[in-house]
Amino acid sequence: MPEDTGIPDTTAVMVSDLSKHFRIPKERKNTTYDHLISLLHGKNTAYDEFWALKDVSFSVRKGETFGVIGPNGSGKSTLLKILAGVLFPDSGSAQVNGKIAPFLELGVGFQPDLTVKENIYLYGAIMGLSRREIDRRYDGILDFSELKRFESMRLKNLSSGMTVRLAFSTAIQTNPEILLVDEVLAVGDEEFQGKCSKKIEEIRREGRTIVFVSHDLDTVQQLCGRSLLLDHGEIRSLGNSEDVIRDYHAMLQGR
Amino acid sequence: MWLAQYKDLIWILTISDLKVKYQSSYLGFAWSFLNPILMMIVLYLVFSSVFRITQENFALYLLIGLIAWRFFANGTMKAITSITERPGLVTKVAIPRQILVLSMTLSAFISSILEFIVLIPMLIILGAGLKWTIVFFPVVHAIYFLIVYGAGLILASLYVYYRDLNLIWDVILQAGFFLSPIVYPVSIIPDTYITFYLLNPITILMVTYRDFLLYGVIPSPVSLVLLMVTGAGICVVGTAVFKRLERRFAEVI
Repeated sequence: MPEDTGIPDTTAVMVSDLSKHFRIPKERKNTTYDHLISLLHGKNTAYDEFWALKDVSFSVRKGETFGVIGPNGSGKSTLLKILAGVLFPDSGSAQVNGKIAPFLELGVGFQPDLTVKENIYLYGAIMGLSRREIDRRYDGILDFSELKRFESMRLKNLSSGMTVRLAFSTAIQTNPEILLVDEVLAVGDEEFQGKCSKKIEEIRREGRTIVFVSHDLDTVQQLCGRSLLLDHGEIRSLGNSEDVIRDYHAMLQGR
Repeated sequence: MWLAQYKDLIWILTISDLKVKYQSSYLGFAWSFLNPILMMIVLYLVFSSVFRITQENFALYLLIGLIAWRFFANGTMKAITSITERPGLVTKVAIPRQILVLSMTLSAFISSILEFIVLIPMLIILGAGLKWTIVFFPVVHAIYFLIVYGAGLILASLYVYYRDLNLIWDVILQAGFFLSPIVYPVSIIPDTYITFYLLNPITILMVTYRDFLLYGVIPSPVSLVLLMVTGAGICVVGTAVFKRLERRFAEVI
């Protein structure tokens, strides 16, 4: 997990010389048996190296909404996962200053056989909330998700849209200082989407930090003051969102 | 500290695992003590009539050994798959991953305590009676927990990379069952091997459980200290191994 050490108070996220590579083995070895066999054959570990991120450095100020854009496979998700503390960097560092809510995927850990109520407590606990903290936020979560009527229903009997609504509502109530958002705004029906955008806007105005990864350039332009363009794991452009998006268009045309 | 911050999550995961375990079979909780009792009957018949082991209170001797052993076997077998069983909690959200190992160990720990509670009437029925030294149970069982949890950390993190480790571990457990004094008394071990034999911490545990449950003997301070050092040591090593190996969990799962 990224530790919050030694970065200025005004900085929410500081990434310096961050590199991450994945080893893609030419032959998949999953078991002790596989490893033993390849030892006997004298074949050495053959890996294809794939650099998902190369020497990436940037920082995000507190209260800023920061966009990350780039084509598929450019390293956006890897970056977000490192910030969330799921992946570990190979070199360099990613430091996060404050409580973080990773919206990498909504509804992680939901149990279909438990009720809506039980799932709220489970999901809240996964997000690092204590029972008492969830007690306090419980009504707010149900109100926001508009699922009050379904409180004691098992989750598997809910539609997938309702499930995502529940997940978003719970996650947003954890009161994070820093939000990592990976295109989860496309949640539920149009009305609920509007509600989510409004909530995000509210959080933004409260001066909390958002790192926003998206393919939707219009939204990035609208929400984010500054942005970062990634291409093949390297920074192509960094700065004012308008300029970065222009660089992105230029890059796409140049191909 | 992760333990304090995530105590509710640890508890929820533990309880839901127990619920699944006890609701999924028809006899539910009954199985977890029927199993050792049936095993005890079979082993009793085999070892007392075929191998002619004459041990005082042999039925209870067996039963205590079996129940104590079950915590090690079940705990490590549950812990070993704890990481790979919940891929979402490993790859999509940053929780301290040792929570998964801890809650599976805790689930086995609670089952084990229930089995020991069922042992109490058996002690009375089979004529051994209750000894006051039973008060040592919480201390010894807590130390045992450390040993199982530490071993679980090592096994679970290795299992992510070596997916047949559970099969290998199963064989090791079967060997361990006969290398520990569960179905026979320590006295049948030849003097030449006894030093090596006593290096097995499970052996010391088995002897200790029987001492305070069956014979009313206070556990020797030396073995308690040895067990405590072993437990702490395994936990430290386990945590170090886990920390090292967890760096690529999200890539491999």
